[in-house]
Amino acid sequence: MLARAVSADPRAVAMRWPEPRTRALARLAMLVTEAPWRLSAGLRAELARAGAALDNELVLHVVALSAYFGHLNRVADAVGVPLDYVVQHMPPEAEPATPRYERAPEVVVAGGAAAAASALARRPATAEALAAWRAYVMERDAPLSRAERAVICARVDGHLGAGPGEAAPAGDPVLLELTDVVTLAPWALGDAAFAGMRAQGADDARIFDACVTASTAGVGARIAVALAALARDA
Amino acid sequence: MTWLAITDHAASSGVLREVYDRMLQRPLPPAYRPAHGGAPGIIQAHSLDPLLIPKVFGTSTTLNGAGPLAWPERELVNAITSRLNQCLY
Repeated sequence: MLARAVSADPRAVAMRWPEPRTRALARLAMLVTEAPWRLSAGLRAELARAGAALDNELVLHVVALSAYFGHLNRVADAVGVPLDYVVQHMPPEAEPATPRYERAPEVVVAGGAAAAASALARRPATAEALAAWRAYVMERDAPLSRAERAVICARVDGHLGAGPGEAAPAGDPVLLELTDVVTLAPWALGDAAFAGMRAQGADDARIFDACVTASTAGVGARIAVALAALARDA
Repeated sequence: MTWLAITDHAASSGVLREVYDRMLQRPLPPAYRPAHGGAPGIIQAHSLDPLLIPKVFGTSTTLNGAGPLAWPERELVNAITSRLNQCLY
C-alpha cells in the first residue's frame, strides 16, 4: 500500500501518511529533494510532537541518502537508461513541462563541498567516499576544464543555498543552462536539454561530464544546506 | 534508445571491463539483480566515465549497506526522492 501511495503521490505520503515515522522520513526526503533550505529545527520539533522523534544519526542518514539518490536519478535520466525489471507500481511518465524546482532565496551555508564534509563528520565512511568522488570529478581537466567545473559548482551552490553570496563567475550560457536543468528540472534531461552543447560540437563524454559535475555538486550542496537548515529555527 | 551512449558488460573492454567485473563481484540483494544478468542499468549509465563508477558506488555502500535506517526505510527515502525527480528508473 505504501509503495502504491508513493508512486501515486509522494507529497501526500510526506504530508499525510498516518504512521508518524514513515511520514517524517518521507517529509525529510521530500525537502532534501525539492527545497533543503526549508528544513528547520522547528520542523524537527513538529515531527517529534507528532510521534516521530528522529535522532541526529537517523536524520543524517536520510539527508545523505536522499541527496545521493538524487544523483542516481539525474544520471539515469541524463543517459536515458532502460529499466532493469518489471515495475509493479509504475509511476506516470515524466512531464518535461513540469515547472523547475525553486531556487534557494538566500545563502544558508557557504561553500557547499566543505560544509558537507564538515556536516558528515559523524558519518566518516560516507564523508570519505563523497570527498573521493568529488575530488575525482572536480580535480581534472577534461572533458570539461577546471574553470568550467568551478562555474558549474558555483551555479549549483547558488541554486541550493550553498553559495558564497556574491555573484557566481560568468560562464558559457549553454553550460549554465544545462547545469540549471540538471539541478532544478532533472526530468527534462534528454535530447532537447543537450541540444545546445551538441550544437557546440560536444560529444557524449563532454555532455555526461557536465551532467555529472552538476549532479555531484548538487549532492554536496543538498547535504550541507539541509543539515545547516535543520540546525536553525524556521 | 538512450540519450547518451551506454557500453554494457558484453561490449566493454579495458578499464570499463575491469570496473564492471569488480562491480559484479559485489554482493547484491536478490531484489536488485537485473533480469538480464548484467550490471544494473544505473551502473551502466556511468559507463562513459568508468573510473567514476567505483567512486559513486563506493558511496552507495556507505549509505545502503549501513544504518541506522532499515532497508525498507532506505527504500522509502529512495522512492520518494526518485518519484519527486520523476525518475522512472
